[in-house]
Amino acid sequence: MKTTGFRSTILYVLGAGFLLGLGVFLYGFCTDGGKWALQPFNRHITGESLSSGEGRVLDRNGTVLAETKDGNRVYAGDAATRRAMLHTVGDTNGYISTGVQHIFRAELSGYNLVTGLTSPTGKANGSDIHLTLDSSLCKLARQQLGSRDGVAALYNYQTGELLCMVSTPDFDPQNPPKDLNTDKTGKYSGVYLNKVLSSTFTPGSVFKLVTSAAAIENIPNLDSRTWKCNGSVTINGNKITDVHSYGQLSFKKALAKSSNVAFSQIAVELGADKMQAEADRMGFNRSFSMDGIPSAKDHYSVKGAAPDGLGWSGVGQYTDLANPFHMLVLMGAIANGGTPVMPYFVQSVTTPAGITTKQGEAKTGPELVAPDTASRLTGYMRYNVTNGYGDGLFPGLAVCAKTGTGEVGHGQHPNCWMVGFSSRQQTPYAFVVLVENSSSGSVASAGHIASALMKAAAGGQ
Amino acid sequence: MKISSEWISVFLFALRVAVPLLFISTAWRCFSSMRLGKRREDPVIVLENTVTHKIIPVLYWENSLGRSWSCDIVLHDQTASRAHAVLMRRESGWLISDTNSKAGTFVNGRKVKDKTPVLPGDVISMGATSLRLKRTADVKGMKPSKPRWRHAAAPSRLLASATLLQALLCAQVCLAGSKPDPEPLIPFGLLLAMEWILYGYSIHLLGHVSFELETLAFLLTGVGVMLLCGTNRKAAYTQLAAVAAGIIVFRFLIWFMGDLDRVMRWRVAIGALAILLFAVNLAFAHTRNGSKNWIYVGPVSIQPSEFIKIAFVLVGASTLDRLQTYKNLTGFIAFSAVCMGALFLMKDFGTACIFFATFLIIAFMRSGSLRTILLACAVAVFGAFFILKFKPYVAERFTSWGHVWEHVNDSGGYQQVRVLSYAASGGLFGVGLGKGCLKKVFAATSDLVFGMLCEELGLLLAVAAVIVIAALALYARSLATRSRSTLYSISACAAGGLLLFQACLNIFGATDVLPMTGVTLPFISLGGSSMVSVWGMLAFIKASDERTYAARRHRK
Repeated sequence: MKTTGFRSTILYVLGAGFLLGLGVFLYGFCTDGGKWALQPFNRHITGESLSSGEGRVLDRNGTVLAETKDGNRVYAGDAATRRAMLHTVGDTNGYISTGVQHIFRAELSGYNLVTGLTSPTGKANGSDIHLTLDSSLCKLARQQLGSRDGVAALYNYQTGELLCMVSTPDFDPQNPPKDLNTDKTGKYSGVYLNKVLSSTFTPGSVFKLVTSAAAIENIPNLDSRTWKCNGSVTINGNKITDVHSYGQLSFKKALAKSSNVAFSQIAVELGADKMQAEADRMGFNRSFSMDGIPSAKDHYSVKGAAPDGLGWSGVGQYTDLANPFHMLVLMGAIANGGTPVMPYFVQSVTTPAGITTKQGEAKTGPELVAPDTASRLTGYMRYNVTNGYGDGLFPGLAVCAKTGTGEVGHGQHPNCWMVGFSSRQQTPYAFVVLVENSSSGSVASAGHIASALMKAAAGGQ
Repeated sequence: MKISSEWISVFLFALRVAVPLLFISTAWRCFSSMRLGKRREDPVIVLENTVTHKIIPVLYWENSLGRSWSCDIVLHDQTASRAHAVLMRRESGWLISDTNSKAGTFVNGRKVKDKTPVLPGDVISMGATSLRLKRTADVKGMKPSKPRWRHAAAPSRLLASATLLQALLCAQVCLAGSKPDPEPLIPFGLLLAMEWILYGYSIHLLGHVSFELETLAFLLTGVGVMLLCGTNRKAAYTQLAAVAAGIIVFRFLIWFMGDLDRVMRWRVAIGALAILLFAVNLAFAHTRNGSKNWIYVGPVSIQPSEFIKIAFVLVGASTLDRLQTYKNLTGFIAFSAVCMGALFLMKDFGTACIFFATFLIIAFMRSGSLRTILLACAVAVFGAFFILKFKPYVAERFTSWGHVWEHVNDSGGYQQVRVLSYAASGGLFGVGLGKGCLKKVFAATSDLVFGMLCEELGLLLAVAAVIVIAALALYARSLATRSRSTLYSISACAAGGLLLFQACLNIFGATDVLPMTGVTLPFISLGGSSMVSVWGMLAFIKASDERTYAARRHRK
C-alpha cells in the first residue's frame, strides 16, 4: 500500500495543471475583464436586460441626450435633436464606434471588477457624461442640412469646446428604421460614420489655403505679382479651367475669385517638394484626435507627380483628400496665430457619487502655420468674405473664410465646402461645413448653413 | 412600487454576497471534518521476528511482504522473493496470500495455497524468516490505537448548511422576475427530500458515521439544479430525476464494492459488458452535435459512454494480492484501447481524452512504471496527429484556440467570447439567478455552464465550486494508504482524477485556456447520464474512506 500511496502523487500533477489553468483564467479576468464585458453583443449593456443601469449623456445646457429608463436606453425628447446628436452620442447597438456610448462604455456602464456590470440597488451605477456640445446648435445645423448629406462642426478656438458636430445621413436612435441594415439602395450609406471625424473628402478650393501658405512663405513679392486668367491654362497638355475669365488678378483677388488658373500655376512654380512640405506642416497625412477618438488621415502626395497633376493638386483636386475635423483644427490654428487649441467634446465624466473622473480642458495642439503666415492668411480670408461671399452672411462677426467645390466625378455634383472663423475676440468660433453632392454653389449651400450657425452661436452668448 | 423594487434589488444583492460565503464555509467545514475523521496511522497488530524479536508494525489494511525496498514490510532475507506475500485484513480477520513466491509461504508450518486466515500468535514463515502475529495491546511499550472516530462537525449540521444555501438560491430564483414566482419551491422541495432521505438512510438505517462527501455533492448539485431553475424549469426536473438515479447508483456501488471478492469476480464480466455497450452504441446511436454518442430508449436519451466510465474504473482497479501476482497491464491496456477506439469512432474526442487521463492514472498507480506512461503518451500524440490530419473539423477548434476574439461571430469563438464577456459582467457576486444572458447561447447549461456560474452567481462561487471538485481529487489521494484495499485507493484516485480532469476540460475549454472539447462540468452541468456517472465516481471515493465499511460491521 505504501507504493500505491506514493504513486497517487500523480494526482498532484493534475492538480498543478488545474491551478495553472485557473491562474491563467483569473489573470485574464482581472486584467481584461472590462474589455471582455464591454462588448457590443453583451446584452447587459445593450438590449433588454435590466441588470445594468447606464449613466446619462447630457449636453452643455443639461439637456438629457441619452439615459436608461426601466432597462431601456431612451434618447432626447424630440426626433430632430436625437438625429442631430446621433453620431456624437452613438446608437444602442454600439455600431457607431466613435459615439460617446461606445468610447465611454466602461464609464457609462459603471463596470468594475467587484460588481461587474450589475448594480446592487438596481439603479444606475454608471457615470454621467456632460458634453460641451449645444444640442440646439446641432439641431439647427441638422435642420439646415435637411435631406442633404454632409457635415457641420463649430468650436470655440480659444477654449477648445466643441459646440456643434453633425453628420448626415443619420437615423433616429429611438426608432431605428426597419430597413436600416437591409437596405440595398444606399440611402443609409455611411449612416454609422461620424463624417466629421472618420471621413475624408476632395477639398477643392479649400486647399488653396495650403497653396497660399506655401506661396506666402516662398514667393517674396507675392502681393505685387499678378496672374493672367483667361479662363483656362494648359499644363503638360492638360487643360485646367476656371468658371469665368477673370483677366489680370493680384494674389488676393485670385484667392477671392478662387482662380484655378492662377493657383495651379503657383503650385507648379513652387514645385512638388515645397507643396508637400507645406501640406505636411499644416497637418495633412496626419491623424488628430479628440478625447481619444482618432480622426481620419487626410491625403496630399505629389511625390513624382507630373506638372499637370501638381497643378491640380494645388487647387485641391488630383488625389487630395481632406478630413473635416482637421480643417476645423486648421481654422482654429489660423485664428489663434498658427497654433490651435485642440477641440474636445467631453466636459466631464461624473460617477453617481459625484466624483468627477475626467474633466475636459483646453489643450494646445502642434503649430500648424507660422505666425506671420497665419496673420497674412487671416487678411486674405477676410477679404474673401468682404469682397467675395458677402459680409452680410455674418453680420458684425468679422468672419474670415474660404469656400471650396470638390469635384468627385461619377456623375455626382461637387462637394461644397466652407471653412472659416470669426476674427472677433468676443465670438471666437471656427467652423467647417460640407454639403455633399450639391447642385447649388458653395456659398448658397455650405455658406448659408455656416451663416446660420455662426449667427446662432454668436447670438447664444 | 419603485421603493419596493429597489429594496428587492438590495436584498437580492445581499443574497448574492451571502451565497458564496456560505458555500465556502460549508465546503471548508466538510473537508476539515473529513481530515479530522481520518484514522491516525497507528498499527493494530504487529509482527514479531521469532529470532531477533524485532517488532514490525503493520500499518495498512493490505500489506505487501518481500525483499524489495518498496514493500510495506521489508524482509531482509535473500531466500525471500522480492514480492513474496500479502497480509491483508478483511471482515473475517487477517488473511495471508502468497503471491507466486519461489520459496512459498507457511502459516504455522502449513503451506499457504489460497488466502489463509492468520490469528494472533500464528507464525508466518517466508524463506528463512519467521514472523509472529501479535496484537498491539500485547506488546509492551506500544499504546493500543484508539478506534474511535473524531469528527469536527455533526453531519446533520453540515447538511443543514447545504440546505440553507439551496434555500438562499431558491429565494433568488423566486424573486428574479418582476413578480415573485413560487414554482422553484417544487424542485427545491424535491432536492431537500432527496438529501434528507439519503441522510436518514445512511446515518440512521445503515449506521454510517460520515456524510461529508454526500453533503459536498449536494452542495454542488444544488447549485446546478437552481441554476437550471432560472433557465429551463423542465430541465431542472430532468436533472433532479438524474440526481435520484445517481444516488441509487451511488448506494448500489458502495454496496457492491463492500465485498472485494465479489468485485474481483465480476471484473471481467463488467469489462465485457462495457465493450458490449460500446458496440450497441456504435450500432444504434444517433449523432447529436457531431458526436455519435446518444441512444434513445423510449423518451429517454442516454449517453452510454458516461456509464462506461464507471466500468472503466472498476475494471482498472485491483486488490494488492492480485496486483502483486499478475504484474502486467496487458489486459487493462487492451480494454482501454478498445474503449478509446470506440470513442474515436463515435467522434467523442472530449470523452476519449477523459478516458485517456484516467487510463494514465490507473496504469501508473498499478505499475508505477514511467515507461508505460511515456509510451502511452507517445501513442496518444501520434494518434492526435492522425486525427488532426484526417478530421479537419477537430483541427478547426485548435485554430481559433487562443484567438477567440478574432472569431466573435463564427463558430470558432462565438461561445467562448460570450462566456468570457458574460462571466466578466457578473463580477464577483453575479447578476443573479435567472437574470443571465449567456443562457441564450447554445450549450450554455452543459459545456458553457462555468460561464453561467460566473455570470449569474459570480466569480467567487464559480471558483469555489471548481476548487471543491479539485479538493475531492486531492482528498481521494490522501486516502490512498488508509483505505481498506488498493482496489479502493486506485479506484478513488482514478475517479477523483477523472472528475478533476473533466472539470478542467470543461472550464478551460469554455474560457479559451484550452481548446473547446464539449464535456460536462461534474455535478453542475445539465446531463442525465453525466449526473449518474458523477455520483458513481463519488461512490469510489466514498468506498475508499475506511469508515464507510466500518460502520456496517459495527452494526452487526
